Amino acid sequence: MADLVQLVTIGLLAGGIYAAVGVGFSLVWGVLNIVNLAHGALVIVGAYLTWQIFTASGLDPFLTLPIDAVALFAFGYVVQRGVINRIIRAPLLFTFLLTFGLNLIAVNVLLLIFKSDFRSVTTAYSGAGLDLGGIVVPYIRLAALGIALLVAAALALLLNRTRVGLAIQAVGSDRDAAQLVGIDLRHAYAVTYGLGAACAGVAGGLIAMIQAITPTAGEPYTLQAFVVVILGGLGRVSATVVGGLVFGLVEAFAQSIPGSGSVFANAIAFGVMVLVLVTRPQGLLGRLR
Amino acid sequence: MTTSQRWQRILIVLGCAVIAYAVLAPLTSLDGAQALNLPLLTDKLWFRLATITAMFVVMATAWNIIGGLTGYAAFGNVAFFGIGAYTTGMLIAKAKWPFLLALPLAPVAAAIFAVLVGLPLLRLRGHYFAVASLGVGVAVGELVQNLDYRGEPIFGGASGLFMPIFAVPNRDLYFFYLMLGAAGVSIAVTWAVIRSRFGYGLIAIRENEEAAAVIGVNTTAYKVAAFALAAALTGLAGGIFAQWNVFIDQENSFPIAYNVEMILMALLGGTGTVFGPAAGAVVLQLLIQFLSGSLPITLDLPFVPEDAMPVLAQVVLGVLLALVVIFAPRGVIDFFGGRSRLTVAYLRRSLRETSI
Repeated sequence: MADLVQLVTIGLLAGGIYAAVGVGFSLVWGVLNIVNLAHGALVIVGAYLTWQIFTASGLDPFLTLPIDAVALFAFGYVVQRGVINRIIRAPLLFTFLLTFGLNLIAVNVLLLIFKSDFRSVTTAYSGAGLDLGGIVVPYIRLAALGIALLVAAALALLLNRTRVGLAIQAVGSDRDAAQLVGIDLRHAYAVTYGLGAACAGVAGGLIAMIQAITPTAGEPYTLQAFVVVILGGLGRVSATVVGGLVFGLVEAFAQSIPGSGSVFANAIAFGVMVLVLVTRPQGLLGRLR
Repeated sequence: MTTSQRWQRILIVLGCAVIAYAVLAPLTSLDGAQALNLPLLTDKLWFRLATITAMFVVMATAWNIIGGLTGYAAFGNVAFFGIGAYTTGMLIAKAKWPFLLALPLAPVAAAIFAVLVGLPLLRLRGHYFAVASLGVGVAVGELVQNLDYRGEPIFGGASGLFMPIFAVPNRDLYFFYLMLGAAGVSIAVTWAVIRSRFGYGLIAIRENEEAAAVIGVNTTAYKVAAFALAAALTGLAGGIFAQWNVFIDQENSFPIAYNVEMILMALLGGTGTVFGPAAGAVVLQLLIQFLSGSLPITLDLPFVPEDAMPVLAQVVLGVLLALVVIFAPRGVIDFFGGRSRLTVAYLRRSLRETSI
C-alpha cells in the first residue's frame, strides 16, 4: 500500500513537469499545425538560463522563472516571425525538418558554450521535503507541480479571456477566415510560438532544479510532450494537463516493474504512444481531428 | 528508350566499375602505391571516408523509397541500420557465425521488424506517423543497450559488441567495394521500383491515398512493402558496417543524427528520383567530414578550438537544413538538373510559395 502511494506521488510529481512541457507543445501543434521538434531544446535553453542566473548571481531559482518565460517568449517570437513563418504553408516534412534543424542548432550551440558536463542547481532547501508517513516529498518537486499547474491555468485564461488569446484560437480553427476579419497572421503565429516557448522555458527552469542537465537532456522531452498531447487529446490546455499527469503515473508504474528503470524513458513513451494511437487515437479526452 | 540503348547504359556503368576496380586495387597495397608514388589512395582515411559515403548513399536511397516515393515522412530509419548491425554483430560475436553467412540475415531481420512495426504505424498519417517512427528509432536503440536477462546484458549492453577481424587481403578495399555494392543494389532497386506497377502504386499513395485505394491499390500492403524494402537496404548497410567497424554499440549503430542526415541528403539531391539521394549523400557527407575535420584538408577557423569542430559541424548542418527547406524545397537537383536556373527570382519564388 505504501508502495502504491509512493508510486502515485512520484507519478503525479513527474506528471506536473510533463504537463508544463506539454502545454506549450500542444498550443503550437494545435494552432500552427507544427510538431515542434525543437521543443525539447527550448526546454533545455530555459534550464540553462536558470542555471546561469543562479550560478552567476545567486538569485533564487524560482525567481528566475519569469525571466525564463520572458526571454524564451522573445526568442520564440523572433524564430517564428523570422524563420518558421517562411515555410508555414509547406508540406509537413519541411516543417518537421526545419524544427529539427533548429533543435540541432540550439543543442550544439549549448554544447559549444557549456560543454557536455552535468550541471545542477543546488539551493539551501534542495534536500528538504515534506514527510508523509514514510514518504518524503521534496518541497521543490511539490512547488514545481504547483507552478506547472499555475502556468497551464494562466495559459488557459490567456487563450480564453484575452483578445490575443481569442485571435490565436481563431487562427487555429480557420486561418483564412481569421485573416478576413483582420487578424495579423504573422503576428498571431509568432505570439503563439512565443507562448509555447515561454511555457517550455518555465518547464526548463523547473527541470534545472530537479535534475542534472546537459545540452542533450531536452531530447526525451520532445517525444514525451508528443505522447502527453496525444494521451490527453489535441486542442485544450486542460486535456494536456490531464495527459501529462496520466503519463507521469504510467511512467512511474512502468519504471517500477523489475528490470525496468529510468533508462527506458524513451521506450516507455513510445510504448504508451503506440498503445494510445492504436486503441484511442483521439486521446483520453479529445475529439478526433 | 529502346532495349539496346538500355543495355548500352548498363554496360557503360559496369565497364566504369571494372576499370575503377582495376585502377584502385593495386594502389591499395602499400608496395604497389609506393612504386607508383601515389600516396593519397593508400591512406586508410580515404577508404574509411569512401566507405562511409557509400553507406550514406544506401541509407538516403533507401529512405527515398518510403519518404520520397511513398510520401511517408519516416524519421526513424536508423532503427533498421542498428538492427542490421546488431543482427550481424550478435551472429558473429555470440553465435560464432562466419561474416558472409551472417550478413544476409541483417536485411531480413530489418525487413521483418519493419513489417511488424509498419502494420500498426503505417495506418497513421502525417505528424502521427513521423513522430511514431522517430519513437521507433530512439526506443529500439534504448532497448538494445539496456535490455538484460538475469543481470547479463543481452546485446552487450553499454560496453557494446566486439567481433573478430574479418581476415581478407586488402580489407579496406574489400569493405569499400562491399558497401559500394550495397549502394549499387539500392540504386538498382529504386530504378526497378520506379518503373514497376509497385512504384506507380507508391506514387499514387503519395499523391492521394484515398484515390489510390479507389483505383485498386492495396495501400496497406504497398506501404508496408515499401517500408520493409527501405528497411532491408538500410539493414544491409548496418550489417556491413558492423563487421567493417569490428565494434558496435548503441552510439555508433543508432545515432539519431543519421535519421535526419539521410533525409536531408535525399532532399538535397531531389526526392523521388533514382540518383538524387545518392548525389545528395556524396555531397553532404563530404561536407560533414570536411567540417568535422576528418578530411586531410581541414578548415582552420580563428577562435574555434579543434575539438569544437564536430559540434560546429552539427550547427552548420542545422543551418543548411533550414536553408534547404526554406529556399530549395525541391532539392538542389532542381537547378543543377537543368529544370530551373539558380537565380534570386527562383529563391524568392520558393520562399513566397510557402510563407505567410
